[in-house]
Amino acid sequence: MFGRISLRQRLVYQVVATVLVIPFLFPLVAIVAISFSGQGPLANYTAVITQTPFFTFLLNSAVISAGTIALIYAVTMLAGFAFAKLKFTGRRLLFNAILVGLVLPSIALMVPMFIIVRQLGLFNNFLAVILPLSAVTVPLTLLLARNYLNGIPDEVIEAAKIDGATSFGTLVRIVIPLSRPITAVIIVWAFLQAWNEFFLPLLFLQDQNLQVLTQVPQFFTSTYGSDVPKIFAALVLVCLPIVITYLLLQKFFEKGLTAGAVK
Amino acid sequence: MTMSPTLDTSGPEDGTGTPGDSRARRAHGHPPTPRPKRRGGRTAYLYVLPALILVVGVVYLGIGYNGWVSTLDWNGIDPNPESVGFDNYTKIFSDSIFWDSLSHVAVFGVIVILVQMALGLAMALIFSGPIFGRNIYKIIVFVPVILSPAAVSIAFRQLLSPDGQVNEALRFIGLDVLTNAWIADPKTALIALAVINIWQWTGFSFILYQASVSQIDQNLYEAAQIDGAGTWRIIRSIVIPQLKGTHATLALTGVIGALKTFDIVFLVTGGGPGRSTEFLTTYIYKQAVQQFNSGYAAALAMVLLVLALTLTAFQMRAYRFGED
Repeated sequence: MFGRISLRQRLVYQVVATVLVIPFLFPLVAIVAISFSGQGPLANYTAVITQTPFFTFLLNSAVISAGTIALIYAVTMLAGFAFAKLKFTGRRLLFNAILVGLVLPSIALMVPMFIIVRQLGLFNNFLAVILPLSAVTVPLTLLLARNYLNGIPDEVIEAAKIDGATSFGTLVRIVIPLSRPITAVIIVWAFLQAWNEFFLPLLFLQDQNLQVLTQVPQFFTSTYGSDVPKIFAALVLVCLPIVITYLLLQKFFEKGLTAGAVK
Repeated sequence: MTMSPTLDTSGPEDGTGTPGDSRARRAHGHPPTPRPKRRGGRTAYLYVLPALILVVGVVYLGIGYNGWVSTLDWNGIDPNPESVGFDNYTKIFSDSIFWDSLSHVAVFGVIVILVQMALGLAMALIFSGPIFGRNIYKIIVFVPVILSPAAVSIAFRQLLSPDGQVNEALRFIGLDVLTNAWIADPKTALIALAVINIWQWTGFSFILYQASVSQIDQNLYEAAQIDGAGTWRIIRSIVIPQLKGTHATLALTGVIGALKTFDIVFLVTGGGPGRSTEFLTTYIYKQAVQQFNSGYAAALAMVLLVLALTLTAFQMRAYRFGED
Protein backbone atom coordinates (compact mmCIF):
# COMPACT_ATOMS: atom_id res chain seq x y z
CA MET A 1 0.00 0.00 0.00
CA PHE A 2 3.02 2.22 0.38
CA GLY A 3 3.97 2.17 -3.28
CA ARG A 4 7.45 3.44 -4.04
CA ILE A 5 8.76 5.61 -1.27
CA SER A 6 11.71 7.89 -0.90
CA LEU A 7 14.46 7.51 1.65
CA ARG A 8 13.04 10.46 3.54
CA GLN A 9 9.58 8.93 3.80
CA ARG A 10 11.19 5.70 4.90
CA LEU A 11 12.89 7.57 7.68
CA VAL A 12 9.62 9.18 8.71
CA TYR A 13 7.93 5.76 8.93
CA GLN A 14 10.82 4.40 10.96
CA VAL A 15 10.56 7.30 13.40
CA VAL A 16 6.78 6.99 13.75
CA ALA A 17 7.05 3.23 14.31
CA THR A 18 9.71 3.75 16.97
CA VAL A 19 7.69 6.45 18.74
CA LEU A 20 4.69 4.11 18.82
CA VAL A 21 6.71 1.24 20.27
CA ILE A 22 8.62 3.14 22.96
CA PRO A 23 5.68 3.36 25.43
CA PHE A 24 5.34 -0.42 25.11
CA LEU A 25 9.03 -1.04 25.63
CA PHE A 26 9.42 1.37 28.54
CA PRO A 27 7.55 -0.64 31.24
CA LEU A 28 9.34 -3.84 30.19
CA VAL A 29 12.72 -2.20 30.51
CA ALA A 30 11.71 -0.51 33.77
CA ILE A 31 10.59 -3.85 35.26
CA VAL A 32 13.95 -5.46 34.52
CA ALA A 33 15.85 -2.35 35.64
CA ILE A 34 14.04 -2.22 38.99
CA SER A 35 14.78 -5.91 39.53
CA PHE A 36 18.49 -5.06 39.19
CA SER A 37 18.36 -2.11 41.59
CA GLY A 38 18.71 -2.03 45.38
CA GLN A 39 21.11 -4.71 46.55
CA GLY A 40 21.94 -5.62 42.96
CA PRO A 41 20.76 -8.33 40.60
CA LEU A 42 22.58 -11.23 42.22
CA ALA A 43 21.23 -10.55 45.72
CA ASN A 44 17.70 -9.86 44.47
CA TYR A 45 17.36 -12.96 42.35
CA THR A 46 19.06 -15.19 44.91
CA ALA A 47 16.62 -13.89 47.53
CA VAL A 48 13.64 -14.80 45.35
CA ILE A 49 14.90 -18.33 44.90
CA THR A 50 16.08 -18.94 48.46
CA GLN A 51 13.68 -16.91 50.63
CA THR A 52 10.49 -18.16 49.03
CA PRO A 53 9.32 -21.68 48.21
CA PHE A 54 10.10 -20.76 44.60
CA PHE A 55 10.76 -24.24 43.25
CA THR A 56 7.78 -25.74 45.05
CA PHE A 57 5.58 -23.06 43.51
CA LEU A 58 7.20 -23.58 40.12
CA LEU A 59 6.46 -27.29 40.33
CA ASN A 60 2.87 -26.59 41.42
CA SER A 61 2.38 -24.19 38.52
CA ALA A 62 3.79 -26.79 36.16
CA VAL A 63 1.55 -29.55 37.50
CA ILE A 64 -1.56 -27.36 37.34
CA SER A 65 -0.66 -26.23 33.82
CA ALA A 66 -0.04 -29.79 32.64
CA GLY A 67 -3.29 -31.00 34.18
CA THR A 68 -5.27 -28.13 32.70
CA ILE A 69 -3.74 -28.61 29.26
CA ALA A 70 -4.42 -32.36 29.31
CA LEU A 71 -8.01 -31.98 30.45
CA ILE A 72 -8.80 -29.14 28.05
CA TYR A 73 -7.20 -30.95 25.13
CA ALA A 74 -8.97 -34.26 25.74
CA VAL A 75 -12.37 -32.67 26.32
CA THR A 76 -11.97 -30.27 23.39
CA MET A 77 -10.90 -32.86 20.83
CA LEU A 78 -13.60 -35.36 21.80
CA ALA A 79 -16.36 -32.78 21.63
CA GLY A 80 -14.85 -30.93 18.66
CA PHE A 81 -14.77 -34.18 16.67
CA ALA A 82 -18.39 -34.94 17.49
CA PHE A 83 -19.62 -31.41 16.73
CA ALA A 84 -17.69 -31.28 13.45
CA LYS A 85 -18.05 -34.79 12.10
CA LEU A 86 -20.89 -36.67 13.78
CA LYS A 87 -24.55 -35.96 13.37
CA PHE A 88 -26.86 -36.15 16.32
CA THR A 89 -30.05 -34.62 17.62
CA GLY A 90 -29.56 -31.32 19.38
CA ARG A 91 -26.08 -30.85 18.03
CA ARG A 92 -26.50 -27.18 17.37
CA LEU A 93 -28.31 -26.52 20.61
CA LEU A 94 -25.64 -28.23 22.70
CA PHE A 95 -22.86 -26.44 20.85
CA ASN A 96 -24.42 -23.04 21.42
CA ALA A 97 -25.11 -23.92 25.04
CA ILE A 98 -21.40 -24.49 25.55
CA LEU A 99 -20.49 -21.30 23.66
CA VAL A 100 -22.47 -19.21 26.17
CA GLY A 101 -19.47 -19.80 28.42
CA LEU A 102 -17.48 -17.47 26.13
CA VAL A 103 -19.15 -14.33 27.41
CA LEU A 104 -19.38 -15.32 31.02
CA PRO A 105 -17.32 -13.25 33.45
CA SER A 106 -15.85 -15.92 35.71
CA ILE A 107 -16.08 -13.63 38.71
CA ALA A 108 -19.85 -13.99 38.40
CA LEU A 109 -19.36 -17.66 39.29
CA MET A 110 -17.19 -17.06 42.31
CA VAL A 111 -19.82 -17.66 44.98
CA PRO A 112 -21.20 -20.88 43.45
CA MET A 113 -17.69 -22.12 42.71
CA PHE A 114 -16.82 -21.67 46.34
CA ILE A 115 -19.84 -23.70 47.41
CA ILE A 116 -19.22 -26.44 44.81
CA VAL A 117 -15.58 -26.76 45.81
CA ARG A 118 -16.62 -26.97 49.45
CA GLN A 119 -19.33 -29.54 48.73
CA LEU A 120 -16.91 -31.73 46.77
CA GLY A 121 -14.25 -31.36 49.45
CA LEU A 122 -11.77 -30.05 46.92
CA PHE A 123 -10.11 -27.36 48.99
CA ASN A 124 -6.33 -27.69 48.78
CA ASN A 125 -6.68 -29.96 45.80
CA PHE A 126 -5.28 -28.94 42.41
CA LEU A 127 -8.58 -30.04 40.85
CA ALA A 128 -10.23 -27.03 42.49
CA VAL A 129 -8.17 -24.89 40.12
CA ILE A 130 -7.97 -27.21 37.12
CA LEU A 131 -11.71 -27.90 36.81
CA PRO A 132 -13.06 -24.31 36.88
CA LEU A 133 -10.18 -23.08 34.74
CA SER A 134 -10.90 -25.77 32.16
CA ALA A 135 -14.62 -25.10 32.28
CA VAL A 136 -14.19 -21.42 31.40
CA THR A 137 -11.53 -22.14 28.74
CA VAL A 138 -13.19 -25.06 26.92
CA PRO A 139 -15.85 -22.91 25.17
CA LEU A 140 -13.13 -21.05 23.27
CA THR A 141 -10.90 -24.03 22.49
CA LEU A 142 -13.95 -26.01 21.40
CA LEU A 143 -14.99 -23.25 19.01
CA LEU A 144 -11.49 -23.20 17.51
CA ALA A 145 -11.24 -27.00 17.29
CA ARG A 146 -14.70 -27.41 15.77
CA ASN A 147 -13.92 -24.81 13.10
CA TYR A 148 -10.62 -26.50 12.32
CA LEU A 149 -12.01 -30.03 12.23
CA ASN A 150 -14.80 -28.92 9.92
CA GLY A 151 -12.05 -28.40 7.37
CA ILE A 152 -11.04 -32.08 7.37
CA PRO A 153 -12.81 -33.64 4.38
CA ASP A 154 -15.63 -36.04 5.20
CA GLU A 155 -14.15 -38.47 2.66
CA VAL A 156 -11.17 -39.06 4.94
CA ILE A 157 -13.49 -40.00 7.79
CA GLU A 158 -15.60 -42.16 5.51
CA ALA A 159 -12.56 -44.01 4.18
CA ALA A 160 -11.54 -44.88 7.73
CA LYS A 161 -15.03 -46.11 8.46
CA ILE A 162 -15.06 -48.33 5.37
CA ASP A 163 -11.75 -49.78 6.51
CA GLY A 164 -13.54 -50.81 9.66
CA ALA A 165 -12.33 -48.15 12.06
CA THR A 166 -14.60 -47.27 14.94
CA SER A 167 -15.36 -43.60 15.38
CA PHE A 168 -12.91 -43.46 18.29
CA GLY A 169 -10.25 -45.20 16.19
CA THR A 170 -10.88 -42.64 13.47
CA LEU A 171 -10.43 -39.82 15.96
CA VAL A 172 -7.21 -41.19 17.40
CA ARG A 173 -5.54 -42.49 14.26
CA ILE A 174 -6.81 -40.16 11.54
CA VAL A 175 -8.19 -36.92 12.95
CA ILE A 176 -5.66 -36.19 15.69
CA PRO A 177 -2.61 -36.68 13.45
CA LEU A 178 -4.24 -34.25 11.01
CA SER A 179 -4.82 -31.70 13.78
CA ARG A 180 -1.29 -30.67 14.71
CA PRO A 181 -1.79 -26.95 14.07
CA ILE A 182 -4.92 -26.71 16.19
CA THR A 183 -3.32 -28.92 18.85
CA ALA A 184 -0.53 -26.39 19.20
CA VAL A 185 -3.05 -23.56 19.44
CA ILE A 186 -5.09 -25.30 22.14
CA ILE A 187 -2.01 -26.18 24.18
CA VAL A 188 -0.65 -22.63 24.00
CA TRP A 189 -3.96 -21.10 24.99
CA ALA A 190 -4.53 -23.53 27.87
CA PHE A 191 -0.97 -23.02 29.09
CA LEU A 192 -1.37 -19.22 29.14
CA GLN A 193 -4.61 -19.46 31.09
CA ALA A 194 -3.22 -21.89 33.65
CA TRP A 195 0.20 -20.34 34.14
CA ASN A 196 -1.12 -16.80 34.55
CA GLU A 197 -4.06 -17.61 36.82
CA PHE A 198 -3.93 -15.75 40.11
CA PHE A 199 -7.27 -15.87 41.90
CA LEU A 200 -8.33 -19.51 41.70
CA PRO A 201 -5.18 -20.79 43.43
CA LEU A 202 -5.42 -17.94 45.92
CA LEU A 203 -9.01 -18.84 46.80
CA PHE A 204 -8.90 -22.61 46.73
CA LEU A 205 -5.34 -23.61 47.58
CA GLN A 206 -4.86 -22.18 51.01
CA ASP A 207 -2.13 -24.61 52.04
CA GLN A 208 1.09 -22.73 51.41
CA ASN A 209 2.83 -25.77 49.96
CA LEU A 210 0.27 -25.84 47.17
CA GLN A 211 0.53 -22.22 46.07
CA VAL A 212 1.64 -21.25 42.59
CA LEU A 213 4.21 -19.00 40.99
CA THR A 214 1.98 -15.92 40.69
CA GLN A 215 2.01 -15.73 44.50
CA VAL A 216 5.79 -15.40 44.80
CA PRO A 217 5.92 -11.57 44.64
CA GLN A 218 3.63 -11.41 47.72
CA PHE A 219 6.48 -12.71 49.83
CA PHE A 220 8.24 -9.37 49.61
CA THR A 221 5.16 -7.31 50.34
CA SER A 222 4.47 -6.53 53.93
CA THR A 223 2.59 -3.97 55.92
CA TYR A 224 5.90 -2.46 57.01
CA GLY A 225 7.00 -1.61 53.51
CA SER A 226 7.84 -3.68 50.50
CA ASP A 227 11.18 -4.73 49.12
CA VAL A 228 10.47 -3.39 45.65
CA PRO A 229 13.57 -4.65 43.80
CA LYS A 230 12.95 -8.19 45.05
CA ILE A 231 9.28 -8.02 44.12
CA PHE A 232 10.37 -7.12 40.61
CA ALA A 233 12.98 -9.85 40.51
CA ALA A 234 10.16 -12.22 41.42
CA LEU A 235 7.98 -10.75 38.66
CA VAL A 236 10.72 -11.30 36.11
CA LEU A 237 11.18 -14.92 37.22
CA VAL A 238 7.42 -15.53 37.13
CA CYS A 239 7.12 -14.14 33.60
CA LEU A 240 10.35 -15.55 32.20
CA PRO A 241 9.15 -19.09 31.43
CA ILE A 242 6.20 -17.81 29.45
CA VAL A 243 8.24 -15.20 27.58
CA ILE A 244 10.86 -17.80 26.64
CA THR A 245 8.15 -20.19 25.49
CA TYR A 246 6.68 -17.37 23.43
CA LEU A 247 9.98 -16.49 21.78
CA LEU A 248 10.50 -20.15 20.86
CA LEU A 249 6.96 -20.69 19.58
CA GLN A 250 6.11 -17.20 18.40
CA LYS A 251 3.98 -18.34 15.50
CA PHE A 252 1.79 -20.64 17.57
CA PHE A 253 1.18 -18.01 20.21
CA GLU A 254 0.06 -15.44 17.69
CA LYS A 255 -2.05 -18.00 15.90
CA GLY A 256 -3.43 -19.21 19.20
CA LEU A 257 -4.65 -15.79 20.18
CA THR A 258 -6.03 -14.86 16.79
CA ALA A 259 -7.31 -18.22 15.57
CA GLY A 260 -10.82 -17.57 16.70
CA ALA A 261 -11.05 -14.14 15.23
CA VAL A 262 -9.47 -14.37 11.80
CA LYS A 263 -10.64 -16.76 9.18
CA MET B 1 -22.36 -40.97 2.25
CA THR B 2 -23.09 -37.41 1.32
CA MET B 3 -23.09 -35.26 4.34
CA SER B 4 -22.87 -31.58 4.01
CA PRO B 5 -19.55 -30.29 5.29
CA THR B 6 -21.02 -26.93 6.19
CA LEU B 7 -20.53 -25.47 9.64
CA ASP B 8 -24.02 -25.24 10.97
CA THR B 9 -26.47 -27.63 9.51
CA SER B 10 -29.74 -25.92 9.95
CA GLY B 11 -31.70 -28.77 8.46
CA PRO B 12 -33.25 -31.54 10.51
CA GLU B 13 -30.68 -33.51 12.45
CA ASP B 14 -32.34 -36.58 13.71
CA GLY B 15 -29.22 -38.68 13.51
CA THR B 16 -30.97 -41.33 11.45
CA GLY B 17 -30.47 -40.01 7.91
CA THR B 18 -29.92 -42.92 5.59
CA PRO B 19 -26.66 -43.01 3.70
CA GLY B 20 -27.16 -42.62 -0.02
CA ASP B 21 -25.62 -45.97 -0.94
CA SER B 22 -27.93 -48.07 1.17
CA ARG B 23 -30.91 -46.14 -0.10
CA ALA B 24 -29.80 -46.99 -3.62
CA ARG B 25 -29.38 -50.63 -2.70
CA ARG B 26 -32.84 -50.81 -1.28
CA ALA B 27 -34.27 -49.15 -4.33
CA HIS B 28 -32.81 -51.94 -6.42
CA GLY B 29 -34.84 -54.48 -4.59
CA HIS B 30 -32.21 -55.95 -2.30
CA PRO B 31 -33.58 -57.46 0.85
CA PRO B 32 -33.68 -54.86 3.57
CA THR B 33 -30.28 -55.02 5.16
CA PRO B 34 -29.99 -54.24 8.85
CA ARG B 35 -29.60 -50.51 9.04
CA PRO B 36 -25.89 -49.78 8.76
CA LYS B 37 -24.36 -48.63 12.01
CA ARG B 38 -24.61 -44.89 11.79
CA ARG B 39 -21.66 -42.74 12.54
CA GLY B 40 -22.87 -40.65 15.40
CA GLY B 41 -26.16 -41.76 16.79
CA ARG B 42 -25.92 -42.38 20.46
CA THR B 43 -22.14 -42.66 20.67
CA ALA B 44 -21.86 -39.03 19.57
CA TYR B 45 -23.24 -38.00 22.94
CA LEU B 46 -20.41 -39.83 24.65
CA TYR B 47 -17.95 -37.58 22.86
CA VAL B 48 -19.60 -34.36 23.94
CA LEU B 49 -20.41 -35.62 27.43
CA PRO B 50 -17.13 -34.61 29.12
CA ALA B 51 -17.37 -31.08 27.71
CA LEU B 52 -21.00 -30.87 28.75
CA ILE B 53 -20.34 -32.15 32.26
CA LEU B 54 -17.53 -29.66 32.67
CA VAL B 55 -19.33 -26.63 31.27
CA VAL B 56 -22.76 -27.49 32.63
CA GLY B 57 -21.26 -28.58 35.94
CA VAL B 58 -19.41 -25.34 36.48
CA VAL B 59 -21.10 -22.71 34.33
CA TYR B 60 -24.77 -23.66 34.30
CA LEU B 61 -24.88 -25.09 37.79
CA GLY B 62 -23.13 -21.91 38.85
CA ILE B 63 -25.63 -19.67 37.12
CA GLY B 64 -28.56 -21.66 38.48
CA TYR B 65 -27.16 -21.59 41.98
CA ASN B 66 -26.47 -17.87 41.65
CA GLY B 67 -30.05 -17.33 40.56
CA TRP B 68 -31.30 -19.06 43.69
CA VAL B 69 -28.89 -17.29 46.04
CA SER B 70 -29.87 -13.96 44.49
CA THR B 71 -33.32 -14.32 46.06
CA LEU B 72 -31.90 -14.73 49.54
CA ASP B 73 -30.70 -12.52 52.31
CA TRP B 74 -27.70 -14.62 53.15
CA ASN B 75 -24.20 -14.20 54.54
CA GLY B 76 -22.98 -17.36 52.79
CA ILE B 77 -22.64 -19.43 55.98
CA ASP B 78 -25.93 -19.29 57.90
CA PRO B 79 -27.72 -22.64 57.39
CA ASN B 80 -31.12 -20.92 57.35
CA PRO B 81 -30.99 -18.12 54.79
CA GLU B 82 -34.04 -15.95 54.53
CA SER B 83 -35.86 -15.71 51.21
CA VAL B 84 -36.49 -12.15 50.10
CA GLY B 85 -37.84 -12.66 46.58
CA PHE B 86 -36.67 -9.99 44.20
CA ASP B 87 -35.65 -7.53 46.90
CA ASN B 88 -31.97 -7.80 46.00
CA TYR B 89 -32.75 -6.79 42.44
CA THR B 90 -34.85 -3.80 43.39
CA LYS B 91 -32.08 -2.78 45.76
CA ILE B 92 -29.60 -2.87 42.86
CA PHE B 93 -31.51 -0.30 40.88
CA SER B 94 -31.46 2.22 43.69
CA ASP B 95 -27.84 1.46 44.58
CA SER B 96 -25.72 4.41 43.47
CA ILE B 97 -22.53 2.33 43.71
CA PHE B 98 -23.99 -0.04 41.12
CA TRP B 99 -24.69 2.81 38.69
CA ASP B 100 -21.28 4.36 39.34
CA SER B 101 -19.61 1.01 38.68
CA LEU B 102 -21.56 0.63 35.49
CA SER B 103 -20.49 4.06 34.28
CA HIS B 104 -16.85 3.32 35.17
CA VAL B 105 -16.97 0.13 33.13
CA ALA B 106 -18.57 2.01 30.25
CA VAL B 107 -15.99 4.82 30.25
CA PHE B 108 -13.16 2.33 30.64
CA GLY B 109 -14.57 0.12 27.88
CA VAL B 110 -15.02 2.92 25.38
CA ILE B 111 -11.52 4.30 25.97
CA VAL B 112 -9.67 0.99 25.82
CA ILE B 113 -11.57 -0.37 22.84
CA LEU B 114 -11.10 2.77 20.74
CA VAL B 115 -7.46 3.36 21.65
CA GLN B 116 -6.47 -0.30 21.29
CA MET B 117 -8.11 -0.49 17.89
CA ALA B 118 -6.55 2.76 16.69
CA LEU B 119 -3.07 1.89 17.95
CA GLY B 120 -3.27 -1.70 16.77
CA LEU B 121 -4.35 -0.62 13.32
CA ALA B 122 -1.71 2.10 13.09
CA MET B 123 0.98 -0.40 14.05
CA ALA B 124 -0.26 -3.08 11.70
CA LEU B 125 -0.15 -0.58 8.84
CA ILE B 126 3.21 0.98 9.62
CA PHE B 127 4.87 -2.35 10.38
CA SER B 128 3.70 -3.69 7.04
CA GLY B 129 5.95 -1.08 5.45
CA PRO B 130 9.74 -1.13 5.15
CA ILE B 131 10.56 -0.86 8.85
CA PHE B 132 13.98 -1.84 10.11
CA GLY B 133 13.82 -4.22 13.10
CA ARG B 134 10.18 -5.00 12.44
CA ASN B 135 10.15 -8.36 14.19
CA ILE B 136 11.69 -6.92 17.35
CA TYR B 137 9.05 -4.16 17.38
CA LYS B 138 6.38 -6.78 16.96
CA ILE B 139 7.67 -8.84 19.87
CA ILE B 140 7.80 -5.77 22.12
CA VAL B 141 4.19 -4.92 21.44
CA PHE B 142 3.02 -8.51 21.80
CA VAL B 143 4.89 -9.62 24.93
CA PRO B 144 2.52 -7.79 27.34
CA VAL B 145 -0.39 -9.86 25.98
CA ILE B 146 1.07 -13.09 27.36
CA LEU B 147 2.07 -11.76 30.77
CA SER B 148 0.02 -12.59 33.83
CA PRO B 149 -2.42 -9.75 34.64
CA ALA B 150 -1.46 -10.24 38.28
CA ALA B 151 2.21 -9.59 37.47
CA VAL B 152 1.35 -6.63 35.25
CA SER B 153 -0.77 -5.13 38.03
CA ILE B 154 1.97 -5.41 40.62
CA ALA B 155 4.47 -3.85 38.22
CA PHE B 156 2.26 -0.90 37.30
CA ARG B 157 1.40 -0.15 40.92
CA GLN B 158 5.05 0.74 41.31
CA LEU B 159 5.59 2.33 37.87
CA LEU B 160 2.60 4.65 38.37
CA SER B 161 3.30 5.58 41.99
CA PRO B 162 4.09 9.25 42.75
CA ASP B 163 7.86 8.61 42.77
CA GLY B 164 7.56 5.86 40.19
CA GLN B 165 9.25 5.38 36.86
CA VAL B 166 6.49 6.94 34.76
CA ASN B 167 6.72 10.26 36.57
CA GLU B 168 10.51 10.00 36.47
CA ALA B 169 10.39 9.59 32.70
CA LEU B 170 7.99 12.52 32.35
CA ARG B 171 10.34 14.73 34.34
CA PHE B 172 13.25 13.50 32.28
CA ILE B 173 11.66 14.64 29.02
CA GLY B 174 10.65 17.96 30.59
CA LEU B 175 6.95 17.23 31.00
CA ASP B 176 6.89 17.90 34.75
CA VAL B 177 3.41 19.37 34.46
CA LEU B 178 2.06 15.94 33.53
CA THR B 179 3.41 14.16 36.59
CA ASN B 180 0.66 12.87 38.80
CA ALA B 181 -0.16 10.48 41.59
CA TRP B 182 -2.00 8.48 38.86
CA ILE B 183 -3.59 5.65 40.80
CA ALA B 184 -3.89 7.54 44.08
CA ASP B 185 -5.76 10.43 42.47
CA PRO B 186 -9.50 9.80 41.97
CA LYS B 187 -9.42 12.02 38.88
CA THR B 188 -6.82 9.93 37.04
CA ALA B 189 -7.18 6.45 38.55
CA LEU B 190 -9.66 5.21 35.95
CA ILE B 191 -7.51 6.59 33.14
CA ALA B 192 -4.48 4.87 34.68
CA LEU B 193 -6.33 1.54 34.62
CA ALA B 194 -7.27 2.16 31.00
CA VAL B 195 -3.62 2.87 30.17
CA ILE B 196 -2.50 -0.38 31.80
CA ASN B 197 -5.14 -2.30 29.89
CA ILE B 198 -4.12 -0.59 26.65
CA TRP B 199 -0.49 -1.43 27.31
CA GLN B 200 -1.32 -5.07 27.90
CA TRP B 201 -3.84 -5.64 25.11
CA THR B 202 -2.87 -3.47 22.13
CA GLY B 203 -0.66 -6.33 20.94
CA PHE B 204 -3.80 -8.40 20.48
CA SER B 205 -5.50 -5.82 18.24
CA PHE B 206 -2.24 -5.37 16.42
CA ILE B 207 -1.79 -9.09 15.65
CA LEU B 208 -5.40 -9.37 14.52
CA TYR B 209 -5.14 -6.36 12.23
CA GLN B 210 -1.81 -7.55 10.93
CA ALA B 211 -3.27 -10.90 9.95
CA SER B 212 -6.16 -9.32 8.10
CA VAL B 213 -4.13 -6.51 6.49
CA SER B 214 -1.92 -9.18 4.94
CA GLN B 215 -5.01 -10.73 3.38
CA ILE B 216 -6.07 -7.61 1.48
CA ASP B 217 -5.73 -8.08 -2.26
CA GLN B 218 -2.57 -6.27 -3.44
CA ASN B 219 -4.28 -5.43 -6.74
CA LEU B 220 -6.58 -3.05 -4.90
CA TYR B 221 -3.59 -0.96 -3.85
CA GLU B 222 -2.12 -0.96 -7.33
CA ALA B 223 -5.40 0.05 -8.91
CA ALA B 224 -5.77 2.88 -6.42
CA GLN B 225 -2.21 4.04 -7.01
CA ILE B 226 -2.78 4.10 -10.75
CA ASP B 227 -5.83 6.25 -10.06
CA GLY B 228 -3.50 8.61 -8.22
CA ALA B 229 -4.52 7.84 -4.64
CA GLY B 230 -1.95 8.65 -1.96
CA THR B 231 -1.15 6.46 1.04
CA TRP B 232 -3.60 8.23 3.33
CA ARG B 233 -6.39 7.99 0.81
CA ILE B 234 -5.69 4.28 0.29
CA ILE B 235 -5.86 3.65 4.01
CA ARG B 236 -9.13 5.53 4.33
CA SER B 237 -10.90 4.23 1.28
CA ILE B 238 -9.52 0.70 0.94
CA VAL B 239 -7.82 -0.63 4.04
CA ILE B 240 -10.26 0.51 6.72
CA PRO B 241 -13.40 -0.67 4.90
CA GLN B 242 -11.72 -3.99 4.01
CA LEU B 243 -11.05 -4.67 7.68
CA LYS B 244 -14.71 -4.48 8.70
CA GLY B 245 -14.70 -8.02 10.10
CA THR B 246 -11.70 -7.32 12.31
CA HIS B 247 -13.17 -4.07 13.64
CA ALA B 248 -16.31 -5.98 14.59
CA THR B 249 -14.40 -8.82 16.23
CA LEU B 250 -12.31 -6.41 18.28
CA ALA B 251 -15.33 -4.37 19.34
CA LEU B 252 -17.13 -7.53 20.42
CA THR B 253 -14.21 -9.07 22.32
CA GLY B 254 -13.47 -5.60 23.74
CA VAL B 255 -16.95 -5.19 25.22
CA ILE B 256 -16.86 -8.67 26.77
CA GLY B 257 -13.31 -8.03 27.97
CA ALA B 258 -14.26 -4.74 29.63
CA LEU B 259 -17.18 -6.35 31.46
CA LYS B 260 -14.91 -9.21 32.60
CA THR B 261 -12.03 -6.98 33.73
CA PHE B 262 -11.23 -7.81 37.31
CA ASP B 263 -7.61 -8.67 38.05
CA ILE B 264 -6.00 -5.36 37.17
CA VAL B 265 -8.67 -3.25 38.84
CA PHE B 266 -8.67 -5.31 41.99
CA LEU B 267 -4.89 -5.50 42.25
CA VAL B 268 -3.98 -1.96 41.15
CA THR B 269 -6.61 0.29 42.73
CA GLY B 270 -8.90 -2.15 44.53
CA GLY B 271 -11.77 -0.03 43.19
CA GLY B 272 -10.45 3.11 44.86
CA PRO B 273 -9.49 5.72 45.78
CA GLY B 274 -12.91 5.94 47.37
CA ARG B 275 -15.12 4.22 44.83
CA SER B 276 -13.64 6.07 41.87
CA THR B 277 -12.64 2.90 40.00
CA GLU B 278 -15.22 0.46 41.31
CA PHE B 279 -16.17 -2.02 38.57
CA LEU B 280 -19.11 -4.40 38.65
CA THR B 281 -16.69 -7.30 39.08
CA THR B 282 -14.84 -5.73 42.01
CA TYR B 283 -18.13 -4.71 43.60
CA ILE B 284 -19.39 -8.30 43.34
CA TYR B 285 -16.17 -9.61 44.86
CA LYS B 286 -16.35 -7.18 47.76
CA GLN B 287 -20.01 -7.90 48.44
CA ALA B 288 -19.40 -11.65 48.38
CA VAL B 289 -16.05 -12.03 50.10
CA GLN B 290 -15.61 -8.95 52.29
CA GLN B 291 -19.15 -7.92 53.21
CA PHE B 292 -20.68 -11.41 53.34
CA ASN B 293 -23.67 -10.28 51.30
CA SER B 294 -23.88 -13.44 49.23
CA GLY B 295 -27.45 -12.79 48.12
CA TYR B 296 -26.75 -9.28 46.92
CA ALA B 297 -23.49 -10.36 45.24
CA ALA B 298 -25.34 -13.12 43.41
CA ALA B 299 -28.00 -10.68 42.21
CA LEU B 300 -25.26 -8.34 40.94
CA ALA B 301 -23.62 -11.29 39.19
CA MET B 302 -26.92 -12.13 37.47
CA VAL B 303 -27.24 -8.54 36.28
CA LEU B 304 -23.67 -8.66 34.96
CA LEU B 305 -24.39 -11.91 33.18
CA VAL B 306 -27.57 -10.59 31.55
CA LEU B 307 -25.66 -7.47 30.51
CA ALA B 308 -22.88 -9.55 28.91
CA LEU B 309 -25.31 -11.78 27.03
CA THR B 310 -27.48 -8.88 25.86
CA LEU B 311 -24.56 -6.80 24.63
CA THR B 312 -23.09 -9.81 22.84
CA ALA B 313 -26.35 -10.77 21.15
CA PHE B 314 -27.00 -7.16 20.19
CA GLN B 315 -23.55 -6.73 18.67
CA MET B 316 -23.61 -10.05 16.85
CA ARG B 317 -26.79 -8.93 15.17
CA ALA B 318 -25.45 -5.45 14.44
CA TYR B 319 -22.26 -6.79 12.87
CA ARG B 320 -24.13 -9.58 11.12
CA PHE B 321 -21.91 -12.32 12.51
CA GLY B 322 -22.72 -15.80 11.45
CA GLU B 323 -24.32 -14.77 8.20
CA ASP B 324 -21.51 -15.91 5.96
